[in-house]
Amino acid sequence: MTISDGWLHDLGMELRRRGVPGGTADHVVAEAATHLRDSGEPPMAAFGPAAAYAAVVSDSVGDAWRRARRPVPGSVRLRARGITKRYRRREVLTGVDLTVYAGQVAAVVGANGCGKSTFLRICAGLISPDKGTVQVDGSIGYCPQDGGTIEFLRPEEHFVLVGGGRDWPRERSRAMGRAAAATLDWDPSTPELSRHLSGGTRQKLNLIMAGLGDPDVLLLDEPYQGFDRGTYVDFWQQVWRWRDNGRAVVVVTHMLTQFDLVDTVLDLSGADQGRRSQ
Amino acid sequence: MTKLGVVADMTLREMLRRRGVLILLLALPLAFYAVRRNGNSGESIRALFLGLCWAISAAALFSSAAGRAVEPRLRLSGYRSHHLYLGRLAALLVLGTGIAVPLLALVAVDPAQNAVSLGGVALAMLLCVTVAAPFGLLIAALVPRELEGTLVLLVIVGIQMVVDPAGAGAKLMPFWSSREIATYAVDHTGPGYLDRGLVHGAAFTVALALLVAVLSTYRLRTRSHMRFASGR
Amino acid sequence: MLASGVVDQERRSQWLRGVLDMCVLAMLSGGESYGYHLVQAVEAAGLGPIKGGTLYPVLLRLESTGLVATDWRQGPSGPARKYYRITGPGQATLRQATLDWQSFSSDVNAILQRGNAILQKGGTRDDQ
Repeated sequence: MTISDGWLHDLGMELRRRGVPGGTADHVVAEAATHLRDSGEPPMAAFGPAAAYAAVVSDSVGDAWRRARRPVPGSVRLRARGITKRYRRREVLTGVDLTVYAGQVAAVVGANGCGKSTFLRICAGLISPDKGTVQVDGSIGYCPQDGGTIEFLRPEEHFVLVGGGRDWPRERSRAMGRAAAATLDWDPSTPELSRHLSGGTRQKLNLIMAGLGDPDVLLLDEPYQGFDRGTYVDFWQQVWRWRDNGRAVVVVTHMLTQFDLVDTVLDLSGADQGRRSQ
Repeated sequence: MTKLGVVADMTLREMLRRRGVLILLLALPLAFYAVRRNGNSGESIRALFLGLCWAISAAALFSSAAGRAVEPRLRLSGYRSHHLYLGRLAALLVLGTGIAVPLLALVAVDPAQNAVSLGGVALAMLLCVTVAAPFGLLIAALVPRELEGTLVLLVIVGIQMVVDPAGAGAKLMPFWSSREIATYAVDHTGPGYLDRGLVHGAAFTVALALLVAVLSTYRLRTRSHMRFASGR
Repeated sequence: MLASGVVDQERRSQWLRGVLDMCVLAMLSGGESYGYHLVQAVEAAGLGPIKGGTLYPVLLRLESTGLVATDWRQGPSGPARKYYRITGPGQATLRQATLDWQSFSSDVNAILQRGNAILQKGGTRDDQ
C-alpha cells in the first residue's frame, strides 16, 4: 500500500498547489483512497499521474470556485495612456494604453524585444517615456527580470532594507519577508550572501522584495526565471492571492498558457500602432 | 533618521563583507607610505595621505556601483534620495575612520616620525576621508561603470601626485588640503598652512557632497510622466 | 480494417467523453450511489471499463454546477464514502439532455444509414 500512500500524498500536495480549497482537496484525496481500496487497482492505472489528475480536478472545481471568489474590480490603480518610447530611431512603444483596476491581474505579452520590460519600467516610474502619462493610485512594487539584489548582503538584510523604507523595525521586516518566502517554499534565514544563491532563489528574493509592504500596484517583469515547476505554480498562486486582496498586478510574460486566469491582456507584439488593451 | 540608519548599516555591512577589497584598502596607503619612507619624513606622510584618499574614493566608487540597481526600488518602497546618498556617505565616513585609525597609530609609533604633529596628521586624515568619500560618489554618479570610474580616479590621483602644490592649478585638486596640512604637521610651519588646508578641505567636502546630492536627487527623481493620486 | 465486433477504442472513448455526464445522471436517477459503484454500473451497462480518473472529475463538475448533491456517510463497512444523488436541476437537465441526444443521434443514424445504403448498392455519390 506504500505506492498508493505516496501517490495520495502527491495528489494532496498538487491540489493544494493549484489552489483547490483545503476541504475540497481533502475530500478528493479521501474519495480517491476509497476508490483504490474498493477497486484494488494501482493508482497509476485508475487515475494516472497525481499531477495530471490534480490538474483535471482543479479545472473541474476551479473555474466556478475562482469565479465566485473573484472580487468585483475596484477603482483604477494604474492607468497608462499614450506611452511612446523611442530608442535610437526605433519606436519601441507607440501610444500604448493600459488600465488596471484594484483586484485585477493584467498580463503584458509579446515576443522578445517588443518593449515589454521598457513599458513596465515606465509604469514603475524608473524611466521616462517620450510621450504619455502614467496615473497611479497607491504604492508601487516592482520586480525586475533579474538583478535588483545586492550581491554581498544576505536575503534577510534585503528585507530589512526594503522594510526600512516603510519605517518598519528590523524584526518586522524579517518576519514579513520570511512569511512571504514560505509561500514560495523557501527559507530565507540562510547566512548565504545573495551572490551565492541560485538564479531561481535570487528571483524569489526579488519577488518578495517587490511585494514587501503590500504595495497597491505590483509590476512584475517575468520574475519566474529559474523557477522550477512547483515554484512557478506557487508564484501564480501568490499573484491570485494579491488579486483577491484587492491589489492590481501586472505581469510581463512571453508565454501565457492560462489566459482565463488573467483579467486583461496587453499584446505588444504585432505591427499595428496604437495598441490597446482588451 | 531610522531610514538613513538602515541604509548606512546595510552599506557598511556590504563593504565589510568584501574582505579582499578591505585588505587592499589598507594595503594601498601602507604601500605608499612604505615606498616613500626612506625619503624625508614629509614625503612619506604625504604619500600616506594620498593613498588613504585613493582607497576611500575607490571604496565609495565600488559601493555606489553595487547599490545603483537597487536604489530606484528603494525609492519605490519609501526612501527619499537624501536617505540614500547620506546613508551611503555616513557608511563611508565610518569605514574611512576605521582605516585611518590604524594608520594614525602607525605614524604615532614609527620612530622616523617622531617630530611630526600627531594632531595635524589626524586632522589631515579626517579631511582625507571627508573629501575622498563624496569624491568617489561623485565619480560614480558621473561615470556609472566601475572600470571607467576607476580609471578616472587613477588619473586624478596621478595628477595630484605630480602637480606642484604651490602652482596655480594645485588648489583645484580635491586632495590638496591634506598636502597642506601635511606640511604644517611635518615642518611645523605657522598656522597659515593649517588654515588654508582646513578651509580647502571643508570647502571641498561641502561642495562635493552638494554635487553628489544634486546628481543623486536628479537621477532618482520622480519622473515627470507619473501622476500620483492624492491621499496616499 | 478492424474485425467486426471489435470497437475502435479511441473513437469509443471520444464518444464516452461526450455522454458520460448524462449517463451518470441517468444512473443516479435510480437512487444515490458512490464512485466505485458507478464505475461498476457503467461497465455493466455495456460502456466498457472507465478509469476513476475519468469518472471523478465528471462527478465534481456535476456537483459544482448543482446537478448532483453529495454527502459523506459511513458506509456499511469501512471508511466514510461520498454519496451522490441527483437534484431537481439535475433531473431537468437529464430530461432535456435525453431529448437533445435522441434528436442528435437519430440525425447521425440517418446520415450513416444513407451512406451505407449507397455503398451497398455498389455506387458512390458521384454516380448519382
